[in-house]
Amino acid sequence: MGLGWYIARRVAWSFVVTFIIVSVTWGLLTAAPNPEVQQAAQQAALAGDDPAEAQDRVRQLRGLDRPLHEQYIGYMTNIYTLNWGWSDSRAQPVTEAVTEALYYTVQYSVPWTLLVVTLGPLVGLYSSANQYSWKDHLATGFAFFGYAIPNFFFGIILLLIFGVELGWIPITYNTDVPVFSVENAIQLAIPVFVLVTGSIGGIMRVSRNESSEFMNADFVKTARAKGVSTYRIYARHVLRPTMVPLSTTMVAQLLALFTGSSILVEVVFSIPGLGRLLFRAIVAQDTSVVLGTSLFFVFVATIGNLLQDLVYTVLDPRISFDDR
Amino acid sequence: MYDRRGDDERRGMNRRAWLKALGVAGVTGLAGCSGDDGNASTGTESATATDGSELGTSEGTSTGMDELPEVSGTYRTDISGSLATLNPLYNNEQGAADVMSYALDLGYGFRPGTEYFPQLYDLTTDGGDVWVASLREGLQFGGDYGEVTAEDFVYQITELHQSDWAATADAPSWPSELNVERTGTYEFQIELPNPNPLYPETYDPLLYPIPKALLEPFVGEQDAQGLENNAELTELQFVEGGNLGAYSLESWNRSSNITFTRNENYYLREAEDVPDRFGNAPYFEELEVQVTQEQAARLGALEAGQTDSVAVPPNRVTEFDGMDGVDVYQIPQPFNEVCVYNMRDNGWTAGPGNLFQKKKFRQGLGCAVNKQALVQGVFRDYAQVQYTWQPQWSQWYPDESEIMQFGTGDLYGPEATRSRIREAISDTDYSYGNDGQLLTPSGDQVELSLYHSAGQNTERNMAQYIAQEFGDNAGIQVNVQAIDGTQFTNNYWQQQVPDDPSQYEWSNGPYNAGPREVTSANPWDMSVVFGLNTYPLNPTTASVFFSRDSSYNPYGYYPSWDAEELFQRANSAASEEELQPIFTEIFKNVAEDQPMGMLAFPADTVGYSAGIVGPAENFFSGWNFPTWYRNE
Repeated sequence: MGLGWYIARRVAWSFVVTFIIVSVTWGLLTAAPNPEVQQAAQQAALAGDDPAEAQDRVRQLRGLDRPLHEQYIGYMTNIYTLNWGWSDSRAQPVTEAVTEALYYTVQYSVPWTLLVVTLGPLVGLYSSANQYSWKDHLATGFAFFGYAIPNFFFGIILLLIFGVELGWIPITYNTDVPVFSVENAIQLAIPVFVLVTGSIGGIMRVSRNESSEFMNADFVKTARAKGVSTYRIYARHVLRPTMVPLSTTMVAQLLALFTGSSILVEVVFSIPGLGRLLFRAIVAQDTSVVLGTSLFFVFVATIGNLLQDLVYTVLDPRISFDDR
Repeated sequence: MYDRRGDDERRGMNRRAWLKALGVAGVTGLAGCSGDDGNASTGTESATATDGSELGTSEGTSTGMDELPEVSGTYRTDISGSLATLNPLYNNEQGAADVMSYALDLGYGFRPGTEYFPQLYDLTTDGGDVWVASLREGLQFGGDYGEVTAEDFVYQITELHQSDWAATADAPSWPSELNVERTGTYEFQIELPNPNPLYPETYDPLLYPIPKALLEPFVGEQDAQGLENNAELTELQFVEGGNLGAYSLESWNRSSNITFTRNENYYLREAEDVPDRFGNAPYFEELEVQVTQEQAARLGALEAGQTDSVAVPPNRVTEFDGMDGVDVYQIPQPFNEVCVYNMRDNGWTAGPGNLFQKKKFRQGLGCAVNKQALVQGVFRDYAQVQYTWQPQWSQWYPDESEIMQFGTGDLYGPEATRSRIREAISDTDYSYGNDGQLLTPSGDQVELSLYHSAGQNTERNMAQYIAQEFGDNAGIQVNVQAIDGTQFTNNYWQQQVPDDPSQYEWSNGPYNAGPREVTSANPWDMSVVFGLNTYPLNPTTASVFFSRDSSYNPYGYYPSWDAEELFQRANSAASEEELQPIFTEIFKNVAEDQPMGMLAFPADTVGYSAGIVGPAENFFSGWNFPTWYRNE
């Protein structure tokens, strides 16, 4: 059995996990009172009609009078054929809403993720290499500042400085500019900066602490004695083992930020992405969109965990995938 | 943002009437939206029309111009929330109605001075019972739908609004007792059961033009959902290439922006009964509506010159008005700020009984809040004090000497408050303690809750001021609590519709599901979450707020005066002269009965780029938006 078989099994397991989550969601939705049915009863009462009759009509119309197993099969079929329903708060299919929003979220989350994944460990390593010096304090201070200051507040401050006062950036996000253009880079620079500063702190601290363990390890001393260059030592002998525990922190933190901070940043910078889509859907009680967006986040989380496991095996040869 | 004034979550008759009463022709109905966090819509008027009158009389530069303005540039406005739909048949939101008005005119509007302004059709009557709608000729839908005729309107009314399956937003305006008939290619008539001299002012006969051919398949299958979700309607595709709006919808990105381009064929350019400035309207090449949720970003965009209109909260009006590139306009609007008392059985959580149900007690509370100080302190003077169910500038506002002015002069202060409350509690076990606190029968201070919408700074300040005044003047401790507007609507404002409505004297939907024993899911005492529309053009529509069994009485108010009879008389009055004394009596009674704490009428405060010619400080600002231009 090799890596290929392991990946195949992990991917299959991801599908099972998704399947379970979607099934549980269906169970919860079925158990909860349906707002459409309630609304119909209220409308009927308002018009002087029979609320019970109106409820029956809506149940029939929405297929809620069918046996549970039929409803379940229909629901699962719709989910896996990407028929996620209609968004009442946006007057468009849910899949269309999610796709449109994803287009904008990807534009800032890809550079953000890349920057965090590369800068976080590097800053931590740098801090560790210069432990307790002013450089360490500076790097730690930078990381903690970003961690401590609320993203939305920091975003507004930067928007006021660079947008209103200096006029360097547009205040509201312009969807008309091409994705790969200088204008787009300029308008996304501040949101990405805010997200990077907000998420680099945790990664940097874990990276610093973990790498400190290896800075004076025997194998590092041996490498030094053998005359291996400092940069090579940091890159091959310190960073690599550091990345094993770090990858866990990183995936978990990035996922949390993806669903949390990105909402606030999208609201502040008027980016019409997934975070804002979910936020508006919750406020508008648009169940289909909330469900669709949540499903997407479930998908991302599942893939994230899969990647995390794979990275483990690549980074640490002691971890075998054969017996998993 | 949850729209606290519009109460847009409501469905049914009031909701639509409410929306309509907000104004046609792009009135800045929601422009201020409590001043904190609102949608800036497009109000308009000629630049010099600020004569100080809220109803306005002057039309300034819109008439008698030697030269028409240049067509150029982009007009941009920032709003706070994305739009649910642009389907004219199912939209219930003022923000979306404003946006739709760029590309699709409604039947008519009003000019300053409450002068009827025919857009698609003129409405005339002899006796007030039969109204004849005469369409302009040459109105064109887009695509292959051809000319707009009376048949399109009649079909829409009879087959959709009067049907029992379509449940359109306009349905409540077209009850089956209205007889609608086509009387010519460009003419149809509406026969009312009773004469109504102010029928257009009710906004009931207001319609969007929808092609019959587009509706027919849905009517045939009685497919309401298909109609509601149809892309031609939800994205206004049926007007593309026609002449029914000043601008054409170019793109609608649900969460970020909506763009329009100039419509060369706009029908009002050729019309003879409109001001000259319509001759080459509209005057912007493009129009862009940007959805910017964060208030700081919206205001920042206005300050940086990146947008042309944004709602400005009252506490920042002076700052923005002082900026070189910005003019802030105060635009009167019909929504009031009220402190609603829950008179249902789950109200008055302080102890036994419900003192809110006593008129004398409500009058006492009316004396507790200094309204002038509220207007000055909270609304920075960008508001008028409210004493009755009309703003002072309404033509239906009674003579000041005829109404009780609670919260001012002798009717304000601890003595005025306590003497009335003492009278109200004389037959109960409530009492005033030695230290001036109102005590429950068990000897504890009366404590009440007061809800306001979370995130609305102005409203929070108002709630805190009321709490302070109730504490000082009435000896009642008020706990101010923030709540999400939707949550308040669902769990506090709406009652739970009973399973068997027939057991009650009435059951009229979620906003008045029955007498006082029918309650919402959670108990509550007082609320400033919603402002209510006072319908200054035709207050007969306000009857819904003052009838025990109306479809909108969430607070459980039982009038101590014969509201039903008076509103019935108003509804059957044959002339405006006949109406005036009836309304005077109604508003006298409302002021005296204090159905809720009536506090203030805040104006919308909207910031515009200094170069924009058009906005005016009157109620009708926005009636001629296509004639706005930028004075470079």
